[in-house]
Amino acid sequence: MKKSIRLLAATIMLGVASFTWAEVAVIVHPSAGFDSLTEEEVSRLFLGKSKSFPAGASAVPVNQNEGSATRDKFNETVCKKNASQYKAYWSQLVFTGKGTPPKDAGDDAAVKALGAANPNMIGYIDSSAVDASVKVVYKIP
Amino acid sequence: MSKINPIHKKHSLVMAIACCLAAPLAQAGDFNFSGFLSVGGGMVDDENGPAYGGYDEEDFTVDNNLLGVQISSNVSDKVTATVQLTARSENDYEVDAEWAYLSWQATENSKIRAGRLRTPFYMYSDFLDVGYAYAWISPPQEVYYLPFNNVNGVDFYTANTLGIFDTTFQAYFGGFDDELDLNNDGFAEEAKTRNQMGVAGTLGKDWWTLRAAYHKADLWVDVTGVSLGANTIGDFAGILTSLGFGANANNLLVEEDSVTFAEVGLNIDTGRFVAAAEYVEFEADDALFSKNKRGYVMGGVRFGEWLVHLTASQSKDEASHPEAGIPVAPQTAPLIGALQAVAASQAIERDVITVGTRWDVTSGTALKFQIDDIDDENQGDQKVFSVALQTVF
Repeated sequence: MKKSIRLLAATIMLGVASFTWAEVAVIVHPSAGFDSLTEEEVSRLFLGKSKSFPAGASAVPVNQNEGSATRDKFNETVCKKNASQYKAYWSQLVFTGKGTPPKDAGDDAAVKALGAANPNMIGYIDSSAVDASVKVVYKIP
Repeated sequence: MSKINPIHKKHSLVMAIACCLAAPLAQAGDFNFSGFLSVGGGMVDDENGPAYGGYDEEDFTVDNNLLGVQISSNVSDKVTATVQLTARSENDYEVDAEWAYLSWQATENSKIRAGRLRTPFYMYSDFLDVGYAYAWISPPQEVYYLPFNNVNGVDFYTANTLGIFDTTFQAYFGGFDDELDLNNDGFAEEAKTRNQMGVAGTLGKDWWTLRAAYHKADLWVDVTGVSLGANTIGDFAGILTSLGFGANANNLLVEEDSVTFAEVGLNIDTGRFVAAAEYVEFEADDALFSKNKRGYVMGGVRFGEWLVHLTASQSKDEASHPEAGIPVAPQTAPLIGALQAVAASQAIERDVITVGTRWDVTSGTALKFQIDDIDDENQGDQKVFSVALQTVF
């Protein structure tokens, strides 16, 4: 009994630890004319409330695929919605022609490749995947 | 009153939009497909009480089902064609178009749409069929009671920021032709609106949104066949006219009567807490329809993937006065009494308490349970137990 509790505690510790360590970076093309965005600016872009960067260029937000831990952390921290709430929010807009959700573009590597190629794109990846091909404009600790 | 053929019109409109969609599809163009599904069932507590929410049996029945698909495609850079087709169990799964329109993105924030649109009567009108988008199985019936939800016409929609607030504004013009079973007797009455127009606006920030809307229209409903026991409203109107009370006959019939509908609403979602409230008023000039005054207040709490909610709804209609102007005399007393009785039968006074849960089984699928406790001033009490599985894909 005692052993299993200790095991459980260790598992929870590990879970908490891995959750805290996975920092998420919001990335754009290196040529973007700005170096940082606020959490609210990022959130408005991903919830379809604004369609362009503060500098004026039009923005194309992309998601990671459903089920990705990075996506869940991003939606919960920045958009303040869990996976179900996020889906319900977009279904209010999709079925009325009032908005289209960000496309699901794949994993860290796929989103990074898009960001490196498209000057209008904004996405998010695990911090460990960041390299010189993209610019980090916001970090979720 | 000219004969109307809504079925024919409906299909030609759908066909037109379908052709617009098919053209780019044939060229392997890019199109968006999405859909929603609701499978629901329920039962009432007392078969001798009034039917409510589509349920009138003490045995559990699963017959509140709905499938919807939406296809949209870019006709050009700025023009999109969208069609949303729904099939409902209550209509024997006959396919109907709730939305079928061409949309022109006029500016980054504004669009103009033409075709068949959802009338923005209520806060949840736009996604009325998409149960997954809200907490209840369907929004409170006391308020969401209008039998027609669509309009064929044009609208202008714009979403902007005003200082620190998010705003939307929508204005439309159009009309509709339909057959409505107004008194739920299985017989449809022909109905149409002309010069229907309305505006709806929202103001919100982060976790709250305020909404207001106002609509007006000229309404025709062929109520002449509606039974009053021994005879029909049409017969009654004929008798009134023959007695020289033409104006009162006109008060019974719904022919080019000016109607208005107003709504105010509030929606709150903090993540942990949800709340909503709406109040509506419907008014008709020179028609049998009562002045409808209806509202609801809802509050709910989320616990992980569960949402528990409580709603109080109320209808407090004011009967119309079709007898107005008839001189009071012993000879006219039966006539006045009959007119008042017909008018009173249209006025609903009802209180409903709804308790429900929503469980998000997985992202995209919710299972809902709901109990409605109905207290009807005229028809008596009833309880409805219902369940639904609702998805989006």
